[in-house]
Amino acid sequence: MSTTSIRQPILTLSGVHKSFGDTQIIRGVDLELRAGERHALIGPNGAGKSTVFHLISGHYVPSSGRISFEGHDIQGASPQHINRLGLARSFQITNIFPKLSVFENLRLAVMRRHGVQNTLWRFIGSYPKVREETEQLLEQVRLAGRRDAIAGELSYSEQRSMEIAMALASDPRVILLDEPMAGMSHEETDYAVELIKRVTQGRSLLIVEHDMDVVFSLCDRISVLVYGQVIATGTPDEIRSNQKVKEAYLGEEVAV
Amino acid sequence: MKPNTWIALALGVGLLLALPALTTASLLNASIQMLIAALFACAFNVLCGQGGMLSFGHAAYFGVGTFATVHAMNAFNGAGLLPTPLMPLAGAAMGLLVGIVAGWFATKRTGAYFAMITLALAELLHALAPQLKGVFGGEAGISTMRMPAWGLTFGSSTEVYYLTLAWVLLSLALLYLYTLTPVGRLTLGLRENTHRLRFLGYDVHRLNVTVFAISAMFAGVAGGLQALNTESANYVLLEGHVSAAVVLNSYIGGVSVFLGPALGAALMTFFGYAVSDLTRAWLLYQGILFVLVMMFMPSGLTGFFQWLGAGRRAHGSAALVPLLVLGVLAGLLLTAGTVFTVELLQRFFSQDYRSMAALRPGAGWAPIALFGREWLPTAVGTWAVPLVLCGAGAALVLVVRRMWQALLDRAEEKQAAPHAAVAAQGDAL
Repeated sequence: MSTTSIRQPILTLSGVHKSFGDTQIIRGVDLELRAGERHALIGPNGAGKSTVFHLISGHYVPSSGRISFEGHDIQGASPQHINRLGLARSFQITNIFPKLSVFENLRLAVMRRHGVQNTLWRFIGSYPKVREETEQLLEQVRLAGRRDAIAGELSYSEQRSMEIAMALASDPRVILLDEPMAGMSHEETDYAVELIKRVTQGRSLLIVEHDMDVVFSLCDRISVLVYGQVIATGTPDEIRSNQKVKEAYLGEEVAV
Repeated sequence: MKPNTWIALALGVGLLLALPALTTASLLNASIQMLIAALFACAFNVLCGQGGMLSFGHAAYFGVGTFATVHAMNAFNGAGLLPTPLMPLAGAAMGLLVGIVAGWFATKRTGAYFAMITLALAELLHALAPQLKGVFGGEAGISTMRMPAWGLTFGSSTEVYYLTLAWVLLSLALLYLYTLTPVGRLTLGLRENTHRLRFLGYDVHRLNVTVFAISAMFAGVAGGLQALNTESANYVLLEGHVSAAVVLNSYIGGVSVFLGPALGAALMTFFGYAVSDLTRAWLLYQGILFVLVMMFMPSGLTGFFQWLGAGRRAHGSAALVPLLVLGVLAGLLLTAGTVFTVELLQRFFSQDYRSMAALRPGAGWAPIALFGREWLPTAVGTWAVPLVLCGAGAALVLVVRRMWQALLDRAEEKQAAPHAAVAAQGDAL
């Protein structure tokens, strides 16, 4: 994609550090997500990928550094604030409302954008828009048939699909997916790749994923995180041929 | 809601409306208490069962509701701030106010810490109350009078009953409608996964405070009804056992069903009314009942009914009836054995019996009067009674469990493929 290079950055991390006690987990991360691109964050286990996600989404506060989303400084902002600005995320470990129905899970996710979170005077049934959008999401991730199933009883890959739908519900401009394909079969992974391609149309995606086939086929650009630092960023081809990456990471695990 | 639910609801309301014509005055008074306890439990359950926040200090919001209502009734030299039927509004307002403040602090933390803050706040109020004589009336409490209003004198229990019933039905209806509002749906989200809600863009603390305040407000209404009923308020209302009772009642009824806590509270209040006159050990029975429910029916009575319904669908009524009959019989035997033991021991260890024995040294243990007979504590026959009762009960329990297992096996065989069923039969042979 030749156009990506001229696209504006939508999310920028500069010099972000995070320590837990004396342990430095993130040691000066610089990362730039451009508008409309699909960007993967890869790296060996323990490199700090999930921590970066937690820092961006407001779960952790950076020890230092700046995180800027569409010109707003969001380092240290609350998760709900960041979500409302237009940045949504999924979780590495399935994070849903297990005893509620699939429909209810998605409806809770959809409701926020309709500003009804303090409404006590109207029934939820009296918002046709909320229902329509919820149904649309169900269709989009092909869970319409599982509408009334209890979310905790869905299959693992169905739950992962539902998570993606929940992240989509706020109609975010930036979406962070943390290992959406972990634990999926080949078929399920193929389906999930197709799903992610479809639902991230017109959005920017930052994804953490271990499956290199997925990363190389799905993403426009890749950043490699090793030991709390980004050692390289580039197109899949650039990353494949990058000597530092080969040494640090790819050479051991994947035959390129 | 299903048509059956509507019919059951209509029947229940009809029964409640007809109650004054059907019962004695003392039972009617107990019914008022049951209604108030039912509303209190349902208010508590908004926070506990729906919001997933276990409060150990809900007596505080009930209590401030009672005191606020009593003060409202005494306002203007006893003329009252509001017409008598509207007095519980004072309780609601105070419950809401205190709920917002207490909720703001308590919901800063979750889980055990939340429970401890609610407990501490309630204890704080309870400790403070006797010091603030003007507000809480000291040890003696405050008394008041129901004033006539709207052409009613509110002098008879029947009138108080209908007033209470109207408020309880209205409040329960509002609480049910609440579950259908956006905030009501989000309350379930709080219980299921607060963390996820935050990342969906919700201000979880604000939501928590809202839920807490609504729960406290309706607890305040229940407290207000208590004030109207007893025409008094005393700081013992703020004691820990009131907070504990609402937790126990709700869990006995079942916190996952809307009316579960109401059922539990009404039953346990009736149990207290019926049993407290009969025995001094009724708190012990209440405790045993709670432990048994938590151990064997953790989803409460309503959970048990649901389980029964599911069992009927899966195995048919015909298969379940003998099981139920035997189960009830086993329960009765075990209860009889336990009650006999407890009552005998309670009398044996009582002060009276001890001092009587001390008066007649060397005369041996005197017989104990129980259930219209004399029982010698040293006689083998005396202790054989509970042993036989409990033994028979336990044996029956084992039989029932066998039968249940057999029922499950049969259902499984039916589901399995024919050849698998044959194989299973072969194994059984």
